Amino acid sequence: MASRYDRAITVFSPDGHLFQVEYAQEAVKKGSTAVGIRGTNIVVLGVEKKSVAKLQDERTVRKICALDDHVCMYFCKILTIFIGLTADARVVINRARVECQSHKLTVEDPVTVEYITRFIATLKQKYTQSNGRRPFGISALIVGFDDDGIPRLYQTDPSGTYHAWKANAIGRSAKTVREFLEKNYTEDAIANDNEAIKLAIRALLEVVQSGGKNIELAIIRRNQPLKMFSAKEIELQVTEIEKEKEEAEKKKSKKNA
Amino acid sequence: MAATFFGEVVVKAPCRAGTEEEEEEEEAGRRETPEDREVRRQLARKREVRLLRRQTKTSLEVSLLEKYPCSKFIIAIGNNAVAFLSSFVMNSGVWEEVGCAKLWNEWCRTVDTTHLSPSESFCVFYHLKSNPLVFGSCPRRNMQVTILTCRHVTDYKTSESTGSLPSPFLKALKTQNFKDTACCSLLEQPNIIHDLPAAVLSYCQVWKIPAILYLCYTEVMTLDLITVEAFKPILSSRSLKGLAKNIPQGTEILKKLMTTNEIQSNIYT
Repeated sequence: MASRYDRAITVFSPDGHLFQVEYAQEAVKKGSTAVGIRGTNIVVLGVEKKSVAKLQDERTVRKICALDDHVCMYFCKILTIFIGLTADARVVINRARVECQSHKLTVEDPVTVEYITRFIATLKQKYTQSNGRRPFGISALIVGFDDDGIPRLYQTDPSGTYHAWKANAIGRSAKTVREFLEKNYTEDAIANDNEAIKLAIRALLEVVQSGGKNIELAIIRRNQPLKMFSAKEIELQVTEIEKEKEEAEKKKSKKNA
Repeated sequence: MAATFFGEVVVKAPCRAGTEEEEEEEEAGRRETPEDREVRRQLARKREVRLLRRQTKTSLEVSLLEKYPCSKFIIAIGNNAVAFLSSFVMNSGVWEEVGCAKLWNEWCRTVDTTHLSPSESFCVFYHLKSNPLVFGSCPRRNMQVTILTCRHVTDYKTSESTGSLPSPFLKALKTQNFKDTACCSLLEQPNIIHDLPAAVLSYCQVWKIPAILYLCYTEVMTLDLITVEAFKPILSSRSLKGLAKNIPQGTEILKKLMTTNEIQSNIYT
């Protein structure tokens, strides 16, 4: 059945599937794992960073990008990460950045996180409804603070849907990471900024195969500029996490004994 | 079937202009020169499957199973299954290489047979030196076959949506003579097995050899830690019992295998 209805984006199958959109979601699963967490006073974005080829310039392989820079009253930014086809991500990020500036010039207000998410999602949806074009093979996690100081996390997917989340993961093995987040995302965990950062790293370590050196992490605290973590800082967090794990296991074995 | 400019699939309508041209073309194709026959013969020779003794590269004249009769035959197909076997089972005890199967066809990209990694496309045979039960003097009648392999989760046909599947997950399929229980649920209809695992299982069914196939449905077909760990329940089954002793060490070996294949793809971010 599928083979007759999956070549064109503009054709529904008899049971209502748009196969090209579903296949685009498979393309997202070929990318690295990314995790986003919305804390009480902080938003965290983390992504698995694989090693680059020897001759490749590592600086050009940044995954977490800023979409907009609000310098009016607060030092906020809107951060995003796109997972899936690299080229599609670059094109959509550029369009989103242009829209952010255009909005600021027209309305004299920076975009809200929801506005820019809706813009990206609408753009993606347009490409699921034109003939001759294929959908964008990317999902995005968009985080930031609005003027009202409330942290936001949104996720979009190739079909053009977007939703707000407390914590989410996209990319390879996203399901495993999401299940980990469901178990460990508690009000206590996110009330403390440090705990929220640790939760993001712990979630990534579930699927990242070689530890802290393959993680890229960025945070925004309310009223503060964006902070990209250096490799050393991530290693520190990972060491702390491993220490806590050991202590928890010691306690467990004492209880069992 | 053809795809049009807009991408819709159109079933080709029969040509009403007649079929004379087609008949002529067919005849031209059927005329075979002696050159063609020679090329075909050479290709057939190249494509022969050869069993070799690895160290000396001489061929094994007798069948491998007659020379090394065994009670347990475990075959892993695909890079994740091979990584599982080499990390968890082959790290305990001393496994000695007894031979390899070398084959070639036009799709093979590798010619070098000296540097084997878990992702090479031909087969290496090992036997356990210390444990006589695995390769011992038992007749073939008591042999049990275990097959491990992986498949992409989109091949799994189910009425549930694929997003809700607990990927990666294990499914099993066994022959009639396999009396033990599988350590996971059986593969439901209408799913089928393909390629080499299907051939091995069919052979075992026909020759009444107890065999079980463990198939891991996964989203990630490249070497992946989570996919390999999905095979872990098999370590406690009767097929592999006693063969995997040091599981933490197995995990370490697995992690080392992973790091050698880590380069960032430029297409997917």
